[in-house]
Amino acid sequence: MIAEFIMIVVGGIKFGAIYALAAIGIVVIHKATRTVNFAHGAFVLMGAYACYGVVEGLGLGYGAAFVLAPLAAGALAAAIELAILRPIRQADSFAVITSTIFIGIGLSELYRLVQNTEMLALPNPVPGPPLFLGDAVVTREQIWVVAGAVLAGLIGLAIFGYARIGRGMRAMAANPRGAALCGYSADAVNALAWFLGGALAGLAGVFAAPSKGVSAELAISMITAGFVAAVIGGFDSLRGALMGGFILGVAETLAAGYVSSATKSAVSFLLLFVILLWRPQGLFPEAKIRDV
Amino acid sequence: MSARAHVDRRLVLQAGAGALAAGALGWPRPAAAEARQGITDTEVLIGALGQLTGPFAFIGAPARDGMQLALEKINAAGDINGRRLPLLFEQASTPAESVAAAKKLTESDKVFVLVIASGSTGAAAAADYVRSAGIPTYNIFGATAIIRDPFARNVFHGSMPDAGVSGEGMIEQAMRAAPGAKKVGILAGTYAFPQSNLKAIQPRLEKRGVEVVVEQFDAAARDYTAQLVSFARQRVPVIMILGSFTEAGFAIKQAPEKGLTDVAWVLDGSGTNDAIVPIIGAENTRNLWGYFNAPFFPTQTDDAMVNFVRIWTAKYGQPPQGRPNLYDMVAYGCTYVLAQAMKKAGRELDWSTLMAAWEKLDNAKPSDLGGYDVIFPESVTASDHQGNKLVGPARVVDGKWRVVW
Repeated sequence: MIAEFIMIVVGGIKFGAIYALAAIGIVVIHKATRTVNFAHGAFVLMGAYACYGVVEGLGLGYGAAFVLAPLAAGALAAAIELAILRPIRQADSFAVITSTIFIGIGLSELYRLVQNTEMLALPNPVPGPPLFLGDAVVTREQIWVVAGAVLAGLIGLAIFGYARIGRGMRAMAANPRGAALCGYSADAVNALAWFLGGALAGLAGVFAAPSKGVSAELAISMITAGFVAAVIGGFDSLRGALMGGFILGVAETLAAGYVSSATKSAVSFLLLFVILLWRPQGLFPEAKIRDV
Repeated sequence: MSARAHVDRRLVLQAGAGALAAGALGWPRPAAAEARQGITDTEVLIGALGQLTGPFAFIGAPARDGMQLALEKINAAGDINGRRLPLLFEQASTPAESVAAAKKLTESDKVFVLVIASGSTGAAAAADYVRSAGIPTYNIFGATAIIRDPFARNVFHGSMPDAGVSGEGMIEQAMRAAPGAKKVGILAGTYAFPQSNLKAIQPRLEKRGVEVVVEQFDAAARDYTAQLVSFARQRVPVIMILGSFTEAGFAIKQAPEKGLTDVAWVLDGSGTNDAIVPIIGAENTRNLWGYFNAPFFPTQTDDAMVNFVRIWTAKYGQPPQGRPNLYDMVAYGCTYVLAQAMKKAGRELDWSTLMAAWEKLDNAKPSDLGGYDVIFPESVTASDHQGNKLVGPARVVDGKWRVVW
């Protein structure tokens, strides 16, 4: 019974890690631009597709995919910001958010048109026998995904907390006029935020591709889970996004394991509603400290 | 004005009487004009429907490509009784779209013959309509009983046998994988094809005295925690998966994470696809069993298969992973079978002559018209419209599925 419980929880942590990666990208873009990016799932898909291209198409292996896929997804996100969202932003910020919904759908359908196959599968990046914790089995892929998500989260925290570009994004989000007076360019900061958000989505794609496969449905599953994880953690908190992903993954898997598979999605949305009603700022909101 | 009203009433009464008479005699017989619709001196228009978008596009898109490939070769080789065979393929993903597509192709586009290339869901949805319309219909993928029962003179079935035949094939493989097993797990999708297989397999296993543990999942599921935990608790030695290769692949991949480390897996015709191997890893295919609805897998090196892949690649370019697949092959092969029935019907082609000729097909195969035999031969009689009744037992050898007799 204990072994079964451990295996279910570890399985949930693995899925939660992928959700967390998606949520971190959503939070990065929202923190810097106040835009809820509903195209984020499609950026994850593009990252996963780029990973497939690098690993299977070019035969360069996962090491190269970790570098090239985030760069590709980041460049795509920045290009979309430049070509589509920036002109729309002049009109109405609500229009930007709405546009991201249709950009996401468009990218997914474009993928489907280009890759007319049910799913692209990638080999296990860390093959080998599983590890045993007593009677519980833990696979190498589970460890790989969880470690990757935590590492990406720490990198995101470091960039936002200590790097100049992170401070610029935070300043622009808090007070665009003040940030501009301090020498930050709104256009450059927006483009950078979309690039970073896209790159994180691409990284999530590299981790998700072997676990979930590359298919148009990946975009929907990732935006749904990433959005819920971001809300659970607090929409402006990178640490919260990371924790929100893990909480969501474990809650879903426990529900599936001990109640039924039908309750898995229900738990996800139940968590969303409870958080929005009870603690709309999320479980791990970013502390707002102001010197006076 | 009064006289006109009198005539209108009479017309209405006559029409009503006609409709009642037609109803009493069963479905209305097609008029002569309908029976020759889609035919000109130089062409016979073929209509087909299937999924070109959505999660089941891996069925419909290959169907379109396979049919188009066959028709291009047939037309290039010299037509069928002096007529070319153009294809009109209609996108249909949902049951409602399948009925609408069948109706549009039959009534608006006036195709001569209808090919249902959308698997069991589309076949089940369109079944009543095609029976009532009377148009010759070729169900090339659907295993569902709904399209087979009740029997209709105008509905023919291709490479996919009914669920009873494929179910027996899976049971045989399960008993080879785990001889003497007293308990068998079945992991079944909630959509039409797995459900029709489940209905065929479960009672057959129970009749053999085997305890059956059934777990279900929704289409395109990626997390099988609940189902795998249940199988682990029940300690089943063998699990049949009724679903696509992606569903099967992710279930098998996640199994060790839930403690199922030494279980035999038996996959249905949708699951036995080479694209499952990278999902689960070639080193984990030792306990994988299945069957296939064609004599070869796309990667087998038999002459017919190599030639088929060659002409497919020449037309469509370097294939993506998983293509050409079973549906490319079946659509290609069945199109040749259909063309052969048309050829046998002669120049005086209509619905009646086509169906009569179709019912005389004996071991019809693509090579009869110069194609490559990538499907089992089809034989049809007046009382049995199931063209193929074979499935090929399959194993993974050196990381690739093989039909192993």
